[in-house]
This record gives sequence, structure tokens and C-alpha cells, in this order.
Amino acid sequence: MRIVVLVKPVPDTASGGERLRPDDWRLDRAATTATVNANDEYALEAALKLTEAHGGEVILLTMAGTGATDTMRKALAMGAASGVLVTDDALGGSDIVSTTRVLAGALGAMEYDLAFAGADTSDGGGGVVPAGVAALLGLPYLSYAAKIEPDPAARTVRVNRINPAGYEVLEAPMPALVVATQALGEPRYPSLKGIMAARSKGLETKALADVAVVGGDAAVGGAASTTAVLSAEAPPPRGAPRVIREPADEAARQVVAFLAERRII
Amino acid sequence: MPAGAIWVHGELAGDGSLANISTEAATLARALGDAAGVDVVGVVVGADPSAAAGELARYVPRVLAIAEPATADHAAGTIVGQRIAALVERDGPAVLLTGAGPEGRDVAGVVSALTGWGVLVNAVGVTWDDGPVVTMSVFGGKLTTTSRLTGDHGIVTVRPNVVTAEPAGSPGRVEDVEAAGALTLPQVPIVDRVEAAGVAAPIEEARVIVAGGRGVGGSDGFKVVEELAAELGGAVGATRAAVDSGWIPYAQQIGQTGKIVKPALYLALGISGAIQHKVGMQTAETIVAVNRDPDAPIADFADLVVIGDLFEVAPAITAALRSRKAG
Amino acid sequence: MPYRLSEDQAALRDAVRILADEQIAPRAAEIDRTAEFPWDVKELLAGHDVLSLPYPEQYGGLGGDLLTVCLAVEQISRVCATSGLILAVQELASLPLLLAGSDDQKARWFPDLASGKLLIAFALTEAEAGSDVAAARTRARRDGATGDWIIDGSKRFISQGSVADLIVVFAATAETDETARHRRLSCFVVEKDMPGFGVERIEHKMGIRGSPTAELSFNGVRVPDANRIGEVGQGFEIAMRTLDRSRPGIAAQAVGIAQGALDVASAYARDRTQFGKPIAEFQMIGAMLADMDAQTEAARQLLYKACTEIDAGAPDTARWSAVCKLVAGDTAMRVTTDAVQVLGGYGYIDEFPVERMMRDAKITQLYEGTQQIQRLVIARALTARR
Repeated sequence: MRIVVLVKPVPDTASGGERLRPDDWRLDRAATTATVNANDEYALEAALKLTEAHGGEVILLTMAGTGATDTMRKALAMGAASGVLVTDDALGGSDIVSTTRVLAGALGAMEYDLAFAGADTSDGGGGVVPAGVAALLGLPYLSYAAKIEPDPAARTVRVNRINPAGYEVLEAPMPALVVATQALGEPRYPSLKGIMAARSKGLETKALADVAVVGGDAAVGGAASTTAVLSAEAPPPRGAPRVIREPADEAARQVVAFLAERRII
Repeated sequence: MPAGAIWVHGELAGDGSLANISTEAATLARALGDAAGVDVVGVVVGADPSAAAGELARYVPRVLAIAEPATADHAAGTIVGQRIAALVERDGPAVLLTGAGPEGRDVAGVVSALTGWGVLVNAVGVTWDDGPVVTMSVFGGKLTTTSRLTGDHGIVTVRPNVVTAEPAGSPGRVEDVEAAGALTLPQVPIVDRVEAAGVAAPIEEARVIVAGGRGVGGSDGFKVVEELAAELGGAVGATRAAVDSGWIPYAQQIGQTGKIVKPALYLALGISGAIQHKVGMQTAETIVAVNRDPDAPIADFADLVVIGDLFEVAPAITAALRSRKAG
Repeated sequence: MPYRLSEDQAALRDAVRILADEQIAPRAAEIDRTAEFPWDVKELLAGHDVLSLPYPEQYGGLGGDLLTVCLAVEQISRVCATSGLILAVQELASLPLLLAGSDDQKARWFPDLASGKLLIAFALTEAEAGSDVAAARTRARRDGATGDWIIDGSKRFISQGSVADLIVVFAATAETDETARHRRLSCFVVEKDMPGFGVERIEHKMGIRGSPTAELSFNGVRVPDANRIGEVGQGFEIAMRTLDRSRPGIAAQAVGIAQGALDVASAYARDRTQFGKPIAEFQMIGAMLADMDAQTEAARQLLYKACTEIDAGAPDTARWSAVCKLVAGDTAMRVTTDAVQVLGGYGYIDEFPVERMMRDAKITQLYEGTQQIQRLVIARALTARR
């Protein structure tokens, strides 16, 4: 089985340097180390488990800056066999529409039985790209998977899709696009041998010109962005606490109002 | 600049009623429509959309209800997305609001792909200034950004609890709309539905934690903590003192020798806030403390402190939350 | 020497650090409290190839150089000195085979050691032969008929001696009393199931409490000649050459312990407020933390340099390993003591890990040669040059 996993490098929150560039409000990807988006690791782990059980290999697909090769090596160290990086200066600052079209174009040129994506990204992603990629490629779309069961012989896949009441079981023919959730299981730590082996695994780089972008003639990339960031600021530091000394019922009323004001309820 | 309307997608809950997030998004849509001076339209797509559409009409003046039998036994997102994409291309609203949960994201992704419309995601605030101006919280709350669309049309996915749902003064009307055209994207059949209690998320992932300390006094006392946690949909935490006394299992211990947590709300009941506990929860977005002692260290770093008996205050908060939900 | 780690070394170091922070750190307090050997941590390290670092690739190892092994020991020791020792002892006890073992012996044992299936211990010290290694009394007598060796005696303070599958034993094989002191010993591999081998006691220790320190007894243990490492009479030389290469591993443990203590103290000083502000803003605390950082970094850089020189085959290996262990051990003791000081009363109780780190640090001034022995080695190297 060939499974493509969409992987995005995102700022490593543990290192704490995430910030936006003040001149154009784009993510300052040099300010901090990058790591594989956490949700994508769950997708990757699920793919690795399936290829271990059914045979086959996992291929990474990423659209990012040239420095993404380091992050992709981390994913290769987990056990993916190879990767494709779509990288181009024009793609810097791409919005959701561009990203969806370019990824769909790159994925469309690959051979695979299943494509996996993480539920969303920690650097401001909204979890809408996978649905868009599936729509542009006419792929069956199975989202929010708590369990993925392919049947390679029958070329179908069954997915337990989480919903508020429990889950529904979906079934589709391959090739199909599946969105992974954390319910699929904790991602493995790369072994040291995996880390060493990752250095010699194939990482293919493609420029924008090498990709048959899907979805119309409209331009892609940062210049064509359909959204724009106007400003960014850190939230105000915690000020002096508000103290309530009222009787219980009145205090409770004020607490509830406070929580509502803070959008917690 | 766009004179287009504000549209809001009404999601269906499992039983065919309107999902809570859509009541909030609809309230927001109405506010934006007032600010922009444009129409507000709701759109509901489902096998039997009438109940949800009727509910949505309490919030917006006009609701388009599309009966789409395919959603009865196929994954809904792709189908709903196609129907809504066709309608927004026909009517050209300025913005389509959806929820930022799984259902809303699936629909937003499909609509964006089919129309080429941009998406502003995970809005925690939306105002109007010649188009939607969206506030997002990124990097786990470290940064708040303000963004807008660059074109005349776009989609905004809205987080839960951004607005309080508020029905309009008078109910709107529902229009039944015929589903037009073929569905071209693959339909994924639902072969089974299972109702299952979700696996409790680990405490480190809880959005809300209500924690008890020495002041709780015993495992019986923890009932008060649990009830408040349940009402807030949160997890129960504890200090080392409570765990060492055997009132609650170690898995729920927060602090230097327990777990480090960063929830949206940490509600501390009878907890002094000594350093070994503080290091476990001080980065919570909002900290509320209930304590009899006004000089407890937690009073220095909480956002809100209630000086009182937790056995009176906590149940009062639980009751106040319940009546708010009901009313 | 290149002044930065190679990409590989940095990648391996980072991977071990993540493993240590996420999977080993939560266990550290319990390991110390229960004083039980952490088999789960051993499996974790084996499963992620960390224990394969010292062994050549042809036997399934990662062929790591000394610096890479030390990077791993350092990262693990930051969170748990007992766990860091697991790798350090594997390295120490495997060195006689790496340095003087035959190809047959390597092929026989290295694959299972690399996979982490077998643990190996280094049995040199005796009750009456600590610093004075050559005074060892454990004897190995040759059985003229079979060529086997019969080992009798006992060894004391053997790290992981009770959990090891293979024990590298140094025993006296001298034929006559005129044999020179440094030619009296030979080196053998005893397998734990061999009849006559026993574990007499496990010590209760100040620190590294999860690492079993054992007294081992050998009562007529019959060992085939194929288990002899190196030549008859070469034991002392093998032991010295081993320690020259293994001492950096203890220095790495010491640097890790110091860094771990510094991390806890710095975080505490940021979070703890007294007199209206974080104590980190008081000069006395700030100065202590600064000194702790400078000393730890100095010990670390000396360690890395020593490893690089030893890996490059420097002729003064003994001096390099002694200086790095001397400095690192004393640094660990000083930094952990200061860490307890920064935390004040909280540093003295088990609520915070620094009291454990201080107890753990002390051993790095004692084993694999006391600080006094290190000074002896360094002084001899200095005066021998003239």
C-alpha cells in the first residue's frame, strides 16, 4: 500500500520563539526551530502502522520553504520512505486557497492508495485544506478518523468518523483522502537508527513550475493571497486580580459573568 | 466594496436540530448585518432540514432550507459544501460564516475549493469595516492577529463561545429551496452509526480544569469539585496535599510532582497556590480561585479571587451555570 | 577539532533529549524512591537504539564515537542519573571487548548487547582493592586438563552487577609471586548463569539509588578459555585503557546532573516570588545561577574536547579523561549543592528534584577512580612530560 501523508513544518512551541514579521505579518519562520505539526504526526503514525501491517510505504508531501527539508528528515526518521517538497519563493505567504490548489496539484501527480492529513496545524491552520484538496481532486473525503481500516484486496477503506454522539462508520473506494485525529494513537519517537537512516532517504524538491496546480487559472502564492493580516499583538499580561467578597450567590453570579465575558462559557 | 449579504451556515446536530455553534454564528451574522447594513441569510442543508431551519429562523430574518436526501446516509460535509457552493456562487454574499468545528471546517474547505473564496479561520472575534475583520488567537494564545479578506467574498469559520446566542426580536422566515444540479464529488456512504461515550481526554488536554486542594477536606468534599467540573465540561484536578491524603488519584495531581497544565480556565477551590502547585498551572489563560484566606499566595496571580467558603461558593456557581444554560 | 557538533551528533543528542524529557523524567523520582532498577527505561533505551551506540555497525550497533555516547549519557542524566548510568555502564563494561576482544568474542556478544537484550557489568573493584587495582585477590586458576579457568573471589561496588547478563571480571592469574604487579591480572567474561556465580548483597546508597550496586561472589566458577579477553597477564593494562576511555562517560553523567539542577534552579528562581518579586531578580541568587551556568558549560566543553581528542587517538588519552572527569565531578557537586541553596527549604524536600540530584552527584567524585586518583593520573602525565 502506498500512503501519502501531508506534513507541514510549524514553529516549535517548546522553543517559544514564534512571532510574525512586523513588515508583512508573515510567520517569521527563521525565528524559531521548526518541527512536524503535531496533528500530522498522528496521521504519519497511523500510516506507518498500516504499512507495517499491510506492507507498502509512506511518502511525505509538504509545501513549505527550503528549510523544510530538516523537518521532513524528522518525519523520515519516524519511518516514512521518501518525501516530496514543493518549494518556491512565489509560494511564500500562501493562503488557504493557494495551499489547497498547489497541494492538490502535487498530490494529483503522485500514485497512492490513501492520502492522510492531520486535523489542523498549530501555526494558525483551520483544518480546511484537506477537505479542499479532496474536493479539487474528486477524492472520497473521510474526516476526523478515530480508526482507519483499509482492505487492500478489495481496494476500499473504512473509517470511524468521530461525531458528538460517538462515531459513524464510513466506507469508500481507494484512492481516498482521510483526515486523522489524535484518537488514532500516539506517534512514535524516532529511533536513533531511524534518524541515521533518514539522511539517505530520498527527498525530491519541486518548484511551482513543476506542479500542475489544480482549480483554475488564478495565480497562487503570497502575492495572490485572498486574506491579509492587519496586525498582531501579544495578549495583555495578567493584571492585578479582581477580588470578590460578596455572599455566595452574588459571588457566583459575578463569576459566571466573568467567565462569559472571557468567552469560557 | 461588497454590498453582498452575510450568510451563515446552520449545522445539523445528530438528531436533526440546530447545532449550538450555529446559534452563536447566527447571532454574530446578525450583528455584522446590522453593522454593514446588509441582508442576513441562513442556509441549512440536510435530509430533513425543517427543524434546524425553523430554529435558525429565530436568529436571522431569512433561512434557505435545502432538502438533500443524500445526507441521510452519506458523509455530509462534501454534499453540504457542494450545495452551499452553488448557492453562494449564485447569490454572491460578502461572507459565509461557518462553525470552526469538524462539520463547519469540512463545509468551509469544500466551499472554498469550489469557489476559490478565501477563508479566515478560528475567529474569536468578527467586526465589520467594509468587510469582515477577524481576530484570531494563534500559537496557543501567545499572539492575537487581526485579518481581513482581500477580495469581495470569503468564508469565516467561527470558534465556539465567541458570542452568546441571542434570538432576534421577531422570527424570520424559512424558504424551501430545491437542490439544483448533480452532486459531482464522490459520496461516501455511512455504513453504521455507533453511539459511544467519548474516551476521557487526558487532563493535560482539558480546556477547563476545576481543582481541589487541602481546603476540600476529604474525598466527599471532592463531589463539589466534580459537579462544578461537570457543569463546565471540564476535568478534575488536585494538589499534592489532596492526593497524598488519598482523596483523589495521583493521575489528577497538578504541580511540580504531578502534571503541568495550560487550560483555558483553571478554577482552584481551597488551594493556597504554594510554589510547588503554582508551577503546574500558572500558565493557564484564566485563573479563578475560591479561598477563605485573602492572603493565600494564589490571590497574587489569579485573575479573579472569591474570598469565601468553597462549599458555599462552588455549588452556587454550579447552580448559576445551570440556570444560565436553561434560560 | 570542529567547534560545533556534527549534524548527526546534534540530531542524536536532540532525539535522546526528547526521549529523556518526555518518557524518563516522569519516572525519575519514583526510581529514586523505590531504589528499583528501571527495566522499563532500559527497554525504552534499547527500543530506540540508544544502547546500541557503543557497538560497531557490523554487529548491529550505531558505531557511535565516544562523544556521541557521552552526548546521550548527558541528556539522560539531566533528568535521571540512574538512567544515564545504564548506557554509561554498557559502554564501560564493553570497552575491554572493544579494545582487546577477539572477533569471535565480539561476534558472539555484541549483537545482543547492541540490541539491548543483554546487559554487561564491569567487575574490577574489591573490598581490599579499590584505588589499588593491582591488589585484586580474586583468582583465576587454570585447569590444565581442559584449559578452563576456575575463578574464586569476590567483587564489591559493581554497578548493575545484579542485573547484568555478562560480567567482565578481572582476576589474578599470576603463576609466581615474583610476577610484576601490573602483570598479575587477566580479564574474563563470566555469564550470570554459570554455576558458582552469585550476588551477595545490594548496597543502600546515598544516590543513583535505582542503579543496583552489588557485591558479587565467585565460588569455583568455571569459565572457558574462549571467554578470556586479551592475553594472560594483560588484565591490568586492559583495565587502565578501559578507564581512560570510560571516564568521560562519568563526566557526561556529571555534566548532565549539573545541567538538570541548573534548569530546576533557574525555573524556580523565575517563579518563586518573595519580597514582592521573583527571587531571580535578587543579585545573590542571580550571581549563584550565573556561576552555576559558567561552571557547567566549562565542564561540558572540556568533556566534548576530551572525547574528541580520545576519538582522534591522542597519545595523552589518560590525561584527557582524567581532567574532564575531575572537573565535571567537582562541578556537579558544587552546582547541585548550589541548586539546593537556591531553592532554600524547598530544595531540601523531595517536592523538588534538586536534593536527589545533589545525592546523585556525589558518586561522580568517587567511582571510575576517585578525584584523588584522577589527580594522580594528571600529575604523572605532567611530570612525565619533562
